Amino acid sequence: MTNTFKPETILGYIPGVLKALPITMEILFLSLLIGSILGALIATANLSNNILLRKMSSGYISFMRGIPTLVLIFLLYLGLPQIALNIGIDMSNINKSIYIIACLSLNTSANLAEMMRSSYLAVGKGQCEAAYSIGMKSFTAFRRIVLPQAFGIAIPTLGNNIIILLKDTSLAFAIGVIDMMGKGRALSAASYGSNRLEVYMATGIIFWVLCIILEYSSKSAEKAYTKGRKQSAS
Amino acid sequence: MININFILESTPKIFEAIPITLIMAFVAAALGWLLGLGIALIRKSKVPVLSQISAVFVSFMRGVPMVILLYISYYALPIMIYSYGLSIGITIDVNLVPPAIYAIIALTLDQAAYSSEVFRSSLDAVDAGQMEASYSIGMTKVQGLFRIVFPQSLAIAIPNLSGLFLGLVKGTSLAYYVGVYEITATANLLAIPAYNFIEAYIMTTFIYEVISFVLNKLFLIIENRLKKFRIEAVLQKKNIFEVVNYYGIHGAIRKHS
Repeated sequence: MTNTFKPETILGYIPGVLKALPITMEILFLSLLIGSILGALIATANLSNNILLRKMSSGYISFMRGIPTLVLIFLLYLGLPQIALNIGIDMSNINKSIYIIACLSLNTSANLAEMMRSSYLAVGKGQCEAAYSIGMKSFTAFRRIVLPQAFGIAIPTLGNNIIILLKDTSLAFAIGVIDMMGKGRALSAASYGSNRLEVYMATGIIFWVLCIILEYSSKSAEKAYTKGRKQSAS
Repeated sequence: MININFILESTPKIFEAIPITLIMAFVAAALGWLLGLGIALIRKSKVPVLSQISAVFVSFMRGVPMVILLYISYYALPIMIYSYGLSIGITIDVNLVPPAIYAIIALTLDQAAYSSEVFRSSLDAVDAGQMEASYSIGMTKVQGLFRIVFPQSLAIAIPNLSGLFLGLVKGTSLAYYVGVYEITATANLLAIPAYNFIEAYIMTTFIYEVISFVLNKLFLIIENRLKKFRIEAVLQKKNIFEVVNYYGIHGAIRKHS
């Protein structure tokens, strides 16, 4: 075994890996969009008075918390087509990215639902009651009074969830999607693995920088948004 | 449609892989949380160079996906071990090191970073007066930390630590990519010959769900046990006059101001 590690070449691999950045971003945004729609539905179900809906949504949340993302990806990508084939649906021509987006949306929807629920509850009943007292209907009260406040409370958690989601997109390579991680693997395979350590470090650095950018923007978004508003007593 | 025979045959084999998953998780949590506590104390007491290094370390670990950390650990550590061996004059056969070690090291560092944030916020949550009070009755800094501050901050940190630990158990599934035969890898290996993926992954899902359910309950029990260290809980239980006797005027004012 010889030491083939050349730290000076790490930065050289960054442009190659960055070529796959649009795919990673596409997966990130689509899963975030679908995940937040799903999450909103689940959070609504969780806050409703219907006991069945409440049980179902909390069951869903704890299920998604217990299952590793990788297992969920395998379950959907390798398992689901098998079942579908048995009932006569051919799923083999569906794009692989669709599976990844579906898995990550499901996974992140549980986190986002929890976030929405807790920030909704953090706003406090008095706000809603005050809105009713001046004659607002419940939807108007939610849209104009509760939502703006809950959103401010949710920003830091939302930022964290987006970072977690960004890191999870790296699992797309597990089923052969060429995202940044997949690109890195392809680059290292092209040189028969001799530069794999450098390539993975380059990929890691890109993720790190993206994460720092996200963290910074989440902080400044929070500052800009909560400026002049009543701070939540966290 | 679902091959029951396959499930019956492979269940014992998948069960055999549970200990590896749990060992990886427990070792990584034990080492990682100790390291995390160290980092938290370093950053809290603002030790000059070390605290900046730990800040960068924490940010790196938070920003880089687990898979990449595992790969870096898997490919970089053998080189480091080998060259260390050469420097002290022995040739170490790095192929003999089980891959689980690399996975544990990566998971440990990840846990250290995340738990250091948890510990830092929980140490901040303990009122500074607690430490001052322990100084006032003649405790040293170490005594005050271990007897007064740590129990209280642990009680605050437990819910977050439980979340971290569940994430860690889920994270061990990624050790599959560095060749550790834990639950996911075993299931995959068993499923490949006859394409029994759906059965294998339903079982895997079920096992992970059971593990996280049990762990969740366990952490709830610990959380309830540790509640006695939480000042708010004690204050709620006792009547205000007793509180004044227990904690002095300061505690009573804090509660009722």
